[in-house]
Amino acid sequence: MARSLKKGPFVDESLYLKVERQNQQNKRTPMKTWARRCTIVPEFVGHTFQVHNGRTFLEVFVTEDMVGHKLGEFSATRMFRGHTNKKEGVKSK
Amino acid sequence: MPRIAGVDIPDRKAIRYALRYVHGIGPKFADDILAEVGIEPSTKASDLTDQQVSQINSIIDGGFIVEGALRRQVGQNIQRMRDIRCYRGERHRRGLPVRGQRTRCNARTRKGRKKTVAGKKGVKG
Repeated sequence: MARSLKKGPFVDESLYLKVERQNQQNKRTPMKTWARRCTIVPEFVGHTFQVHNGRTFLEVFVTEDMVGHKLGEFSATRMFRGHTNKKEGVKSK
Repeated sequence: MPRIAGVDIPDRKAIRYALRYVHGIGPKFADDILAEVGIEPSTKASDLTDQQVSQINSIIDGGFIVEGALRRQVGQNIQRMRDIRCYRGERHRRGLPVRGQRTRCNARTRKGRKKTVAGKKGVKG
């Protein structure tokens, strides 16, 4: 179900402030974050985030098309390496 | 046979139902359009006057996305999700359900016919 418009998009406060600070200083250093639930707002465009996927931080470079999605959508939490090969008994690929 | 929105030629049915043969027009839009033109919904499609048909056409042209344009729009939306590599885009690429359904069993619409794996059920590994 879609989120109520009344509330507006959810943006992680501290992450947003961090981006704003970088914007003022014209810096573009990658930011580590756990805030997967944070909506990508236009201010984020051009920045790089390292989004936690439960184990490591995956690098996400934000482009204009990504606005409106959540950071977590770009940091996969599951890894599928293919089914086991019966003869070998090991993972293929 | 009336032609509405390009190639569609629905006939012999009440206009209310005939309109739904246009891709992008369902029950609601069909009724909305007829209310706007002021046509009785139960009129047979073949009984429409040329003027009524052109009225319907002009309403669809201004304000409804139908047929090819709609299909293109949907395709573009999916392509965009693929390009930005978001979760839903990945699901489209792999041909798996996009909206969080289970895939342990079922999901055959997206996954296609069963691909039987020999010896999968056996007890010994």
